[in-house]
Amino acid sequence: MNFSRIAHNLNYVFSVVLFLLGLYTIAVKPNLVKKIMGLNIMETSVFLFMVSIGMVGSGNAPVVTEGVKPATMVNPIPQALILTGIVVAVSTTAVALSLCIRIHEHYDSLNAFEILGRDELF
Amino acid sequence: MSFSSHYSILLVAVPLAFAALCPIVGMWKRELCFPFSVAGAAAACFFIFSLWGKVISKGVVSYTPGGWKPPLGIQIRIDYVGLFMASIIGAVGLAVLVYSWRYVSRELDAEKIPYYYTLYMLLFASMLGFVVTGDIFNMFVFMEIFSISSYALVAITGQRRAVRAAFKYLLMGATSSVMVLLGIAFLYSTVGSLNMEDIAGRLAMGGYTSVASIALVLFLIGFAVKAALFPVHIWLPDAHSIAPSPISAVLSALVIKMGVLGILRIFFTVYTPGFAGIEGTWTALLQAIAWCAAISIVLASIMAIIQRDFKVMIAYSSIAHIGYILLGICMLTDKGLTGGLYNILAHALGKGCFFLVAGIIIYKHDLRRITSLRGLGRSMPVTAGAFAVASLSIVGLPPSAGFIAKWYILWGCLQKQHYVFMVMVLLGSLLSAIYCFRVVYYMFFVGSHSAEIDEGPATMIVPAASFAAATLFFGIFATLVLPSLSSAAQALLAG
Amino acid sequence: MRKAIMLLALAGIGVMLIYAVGEMPPMGDSGNPDKTHVAPRYLEHGEEEAGASNVVTAVILNYRGYDTMGEVAVIFCALCAVVAVLGREKTGLSRTHMDVSRVKASVVVRTTVRFLVPVIIFFAIYIILHGEETPGGGFQGGAIIGASIILFTLAFGLPESTRKIPLKSRVPLESFAVIAFLAAGFTGILFGANFLTYIMPGLSEHAAETIRQVMMMVIEIGIGFAGGIIFTSIMFAMIREDKYELQPDSS
Repeated sequence: MNFSRIAHNLNYVFSVVLFLLGLYTIAVKPNLVKKIMGLNIMETSVFLFMVSIGMVGSGNAPVVTEGVKPATMVNPIPQALILTGIVVAVSTTAVALSLCIRIHEHYDSLNAFEILGRDELF
Repeated sequence: MSFSSHYSILLVAVPLAFAALCPIVGMWKRELCFPFSVAGAAAACFFIFSLWGKVISKGVVSYTPGGWKPPLGIQIRIDYVGLFMASIIGAVGLAVLVYSWRYVSRELDAEKIPYYYTLYMLLFASMLGFVVTGDIFNMFVFMEIFSISSYALVAITGQRRAVRAAFKYLLMGATSSVMVLLGIAFLYSTVGSLNMEDIAGRLAMGGYTSVASIALVLFLIGFAVKAALFPVHIWLPDAHSIAPSPISAVLSALVIKMGVLGILRIFFTVYTPGFAGIEGTWTALLQAIAWCAAISIVLASIMAIIQRDFKVMIAYSSIAHIGYILLGICMLTDKGLTGGLYNILAHALGKGCFFLVAGIIIYKHDLRRITSLRGLGRSMPVTAGAFAVASLSIVGLPPSAGFIAKWYILWGCLQKQHYVFMVMVLLGSLLSAIYCFRVVYYMFFVGSHSAEIDEGPATMIVPAASFAAATLFFGIFATLVLPSLSSAAQALLAG
Repeated sequence: MRKAIMLLALAGIGVMLIYAVGEMPPMGDSGNPDKTHVAPRYLEHGEEEAGASNVVTAVILNYRGYDTMGEVAVIFCALCAVVAVLGREKTGLSRTHMDVSRVKASVVVRTTVRFLVPVIIFFAIYIILHGEETPGGGFQGGAIIGASIILFTLAFGLPESTRKIPLKSRVPLESFAVIAFLAAGFTGILFGANFLTYIMPGLSEHAAETIRQVMMMVIEIGIGFAGGIIFTSIMFAMIREDKYELQPDSS
């Protein structure tokens, strides 16, 4: 383990922590809405990671203006990818929430254990 | 530039255009949605099959939307594997679309029908986009489209168990997508490129190999969930058995194969075999996949035997077949890879036929228990016959496509002298004979409830029967496909 | 037990990822691999090649336009998925007197919203149209449009909003972004260039430049408005008081 590099890449460390937090929420929390929140936390952690990749120390926004050299601009590609990622995350969340609404209509509950107990398994 | 040079983008863009226009058509006249989407799928099939000549003569067809040379822009790269998968998607997708017409118009609310076709076309177009792209992020985008549309299609009936299964599928699928996205991010931070071939070139230059190997692990976890490999298969039996039958057929025949293709692309195009610094992880992970696949084969076959519900049994059988495909691929010999790829075709046809037959039986008689299928051989001879023929392929008996596939997989295992895997493949085939022929036995040899012929509608029988016929056709005329598959295998092994 | 296994697995993944973080290029260094390969080319030539001084917009619309087409298809797909699962909003039917969408907000809220919504939409249009020169663009503007309509719905109720933007006008608008993208793509093919090319061959430089600006504008507006309408439709479909059966509208 390269600890000095880990201490330098602090954004990455936080995004890993968020990622694990999200994964834990999805796997362990019984409430379906909390699971969706966990999914969102996980996705956000990847976004944080990606924009941090493109960062340049004391850099500028990637908008071409007079007097700003391209070398000092941050990398625009991760930002473009993140925009796609956010849209994907929003879409997944919308579908997940609508499934939640249906599940609540059928089962009167959003607790994963209760829902599993309601129908006998095959 | 001639018009035919644009076929490689049109095969994605045209079905996408039909998908986008479908709700508008549905608002105007609901009945027109079905012919409209059939037209879109047929057009896509035309583009796919016209590309074969070019791919055979050139090996790889490349196209750049916007004219940006890779790695600046996105590249569409159609090689043997991609076009092979695209052809299966086109043919199976079109046949199942025709099949779903009668099924959907009875089973779904009228309000949902345009959206069924829209989602189906989105699924179709995005799978095509996924198999032909040469850009890793573009692959993620298309993966999300087909994932979201399949979650919705599983839940489209709105029944309680369907919604629950869809939610489970969504949680696992979305988590795996995030894993893939994190893998892309890791890889991007070390190579600065998103084009697959360019990444391969940049990785070969060395540096940051440990980050690249961890990205490989993330990709593997992500795509293994999509492919329903053994430890992470738990979403599949629910989702595939409860979805409407045409959707089960598409999910089993095509969507889980996308996970396999993802693994193929990552392991063979992005991380080519034998990189300095990564090959240790690469080989170890491939070994892990091979073991998981072998366990999948045996375990899923046993699970299929103990099921009482017809569709759940078929769903478990899909997990076993994903095992065969990945096992063949992991042998890393040209024979094993050919067998794995051939099983993609054989399984798509055989399992497609199984689910379509299950759909016809549910449509006509609403029977789901295996024991209740008795005597159907008399009253529904074509349907039951199609099932019997397709089960030859699923079990792997000559003269069916499944036999050729398993033969090559065994040959691949023999080349690498993995006798344990050979035993497991043979054991799996034996077990699949038990679960398939049990159904055939109930259909043909146990007393009947009526001797009168009472078949389903023609638009449902013809796709099912043609899939069954195709399994025989590709078993007898395997030499039509095998040469291009072995070139595909050699191209993959060469990196 | 389940929790313990999960924590163990998470710890494994965590150690693996943290280890990877330690091996990664140092954050913020301008010599990192991602900033020396493709990105400099975008930053140096993005404005003249791709026609947008905001390089992010240049990447989204031009260099990686095909991705953005897929992205637009994703939100369209999400809308179709929500409608397939939940159905469209139930107009003419309200559930009971407890239905939130029929409860009127206070005069203060309604008046404020009435003033704010046009301003918000105006701001969204600015964001959409100015996306080529400043941070912003179609998706961002679309989200703001969607938010403004949602705000309106919260204040005035679902029946009022669906009267303002009826289903018949929303359905074509929802597909508009995908169609605009594909139309731009097919225009390129008609002129003999590749799919999604904005500079048409065989035209004078001035005409080609104008066509490119118009096409990019149409796509941005398409993404913005379709995005806003899609968010609105998703929200309309989700409004429900789940426990109460649907009743015919009494008023």
